Amino acid sequence: MKHRFLMLAALSLTALPVAAQQAPKPATTASAAARAWTPPKTSWGDPDLQGIYTSDDYIGLGMNRAAQYGTRQLLTDEEVATRERTIETTAQRDAQEFATPGGNVGTGPPGHWGERARRSPRQTSLLIEPENGQTPALTEEGRQRQALYTRQGAGTANPEDSWEGYTYYIRCITRGIAGSVIPVIYGNGTEIVQGPGYVVLLQEMVHEARVIPLDGSPHVGSNIKTYMGDSRGHWEGNTLVIETKNILGNKTGIGGNGGGTPFSEDAKFTERLTRTDKETIQYTMRIEDPRTYTAPFTFTFPIRQEQGYQNFEYACHEGNNGMMNQLSGARADEKAAAEAAKQK
Amino acid sequence: MRDRYKWLAVSIIAVAITFSASIAFVSAQSAQSKAAAPTAAPATRGQAPAPAAPARGQTAAPARGQTGAPARVARIGGKPNFTGLWQALTGANWDIQDHSTEPGPFYQLGAAFAIPAGQGIVEGNEIPYKPEALEQRRLNRLNRWTADPEIKCYMPGIPRANYMPFPFQIVQGDATIAFAYEFATSNRVVYVKTPRKAQVAAWMGTSNGHWEGDTLVVEVTGNWPESWFDRSGNFHSDALKVTERYTLRNPDVIDYEATIDDPKTFTRPWKMSFPIYRRLEKNAKLLEYKCVEYTEELIYGHLRKPVN
Repeated sequence: MKHRFLMLAALSLTALPVAAQQAPKPATTASAAARAWTPPKTSWGDPDLQGIYTSDDYIGLGMNRAAQYGTRQLLTDEEVATRERTIETTAQRDAQEFATPGGNVGTGPPGHWGERARRSPRQTSLLIEPENGQTPALTEEGRQRQALYTRQGAGTANPEDSWEGYTYYIRCITRGIAGSVIPVIYGNGTEIVQGPGYVVLLQEMVHEARVIPLDGSPHVGSNIKTYMGDSRGHWEGNTLVIETKNILGNKTGIGGNGGGTPFSEDAKFTERLTRTDKETIQYTMRIEDPRTYTAPFTFTFPIRQEQGYQNFEYACHEGNNGMMNQLSGARADEKAAAEAAKQK
Repeated sequence: MRDRYKWLAVSIIAVAITFSASIAFVSAQSAQSKAAAPTAAPATRGQAPAPAAPARGQTAAPARGQTGAPARVARIGGKPNFTGLWQALTGANWDIQDHSTEPGPFYQLGAAFAIPAGQGIVEGNEIPYKPEALEQRRLNRLNRWTADPEIKCYMPGIPRANYMPFPFQIVQGDATIAFAYEFATSNRVVYVKTPRKAQVAAWMGTSNGHWEGDTLVVEVTGNWPESWFDRSGNFHSDALKVTERYTLRNPDVIDYEATIDDPKTFTRPWKMSFPIYRRLEKNAKLLEYKCVEYTEELIYGHLRKPVN
């Protein structure tokens, strides 16, 4: 519950077809193969997306594409093999009961307290639009909002002056609409429950339950803003399309766990969930926030059902000893410093 | 978490959390709007380049609602369909037993936040506490304005989530049934086809369901011991097992019954029951009440860096 960071370690084991239907230029024919798979239907006739999925395989893959890949969206077989070797090495290290004598051991918890990828991602970045794989530039308003956000805390300055210096995630309020799906070190589960006229996306961290009506009903009034916004869904063939607006502005962004430059209240999100095989859904989110970003952008990754994986209740606020201890530790340090100064 | 400013802090936060959902939500919204004030004129608004690529199908919704069934399907897999937005209309969140009117904690709020009399939901009105548990309930009640976990926006647990003054959404599939509660974004999934063993205790417990005729029976185990039944200090231990029964009286009313079994706290199992009503307002929708931020001054206020 202390500072949580995106794990940098990369991951992998076997290849997995990527459905890059949303890509400006689909880079392979994998998407064609994926589209050929027809999901079962629920008893009331909707495509069945139900199950518990995790994005663990994409832990550590950057939102933006590294320069060496240019406009290439998929890794080569050789690059995948390299990542798979890294995953294998990591798994071996995780299995060690004791650290190697003389090895470099940090003071943090062991890495395997978080989740690990089971196989290599195929993509070179989460971002597939724009074509260059880079998050579009901020607008002037976006830059000002980012500056304010940075000044208010988010792991900079002295966040421990007050809880208000921490992110909405560290405060256990929410990770927001994008932060709740982008893969991080753990808690990447999404459980999908469907009923006639609805889909529910239950996101493990911080126990979100997004209830999405499919009945064509209009959004709630524009004066009702919430952290997770108002979502409405519909089917396009076997793809679930979810449109979300009415978010509270200036709260969460596309950084790890909803950090980074906060969206404006005018942001609009379009998610597409397409089941590409028995275990896998290709998940895509397109973000249009012209007050914050100079262009729309789209990221995608597969989420996958894994043997034995399930969501656990992430009672974040109820057990938020991390922020409590950081705040009380800072006050104790100040008190000790003041007393030391007096004695001089 | 206790400190000498507790009463001062609670006077602000408890009001927002403890009393009326609607008032709290309105004040939350207004606080949010202030916080969300733009920091600059939106000079670039509308000047963004046209979407570069995946415009396909992203604006039009030709298939909307056409492949899905209508929202009101009477039965799913031969069983009654409980899908919908629901809310109980009892005063039980104040006290699950019969209770008389009482003043609220803050005279400044006058009639708006006093405690109205209410009829309880406990069958026979008596809760069979063991003697030592009854003493704990007395202490809880004395400390109700600070000790009730609702004040801190902790997840309410089952059964309390079902009679808090907030709506909740049921979405029912063949194998799983989702319950999404407005308060604290608490939620749970009821596993009907593949039961799950409670591996760790959780505020919302672990729920497994089965059908007895047209009645949905849900057994909730693995319950966290710190949740309360109401604002009056009625409580349970980690041995709590709740057996819920949901029966449709008609398409818009659920007859709800819960059997409370906790041999560490009670001398015998006991029952509560009340109706739950479908929210019939046009376009009624589950909203979110993320109440955590309205508890932070209360919980962390004593740890704020003093202003020199």
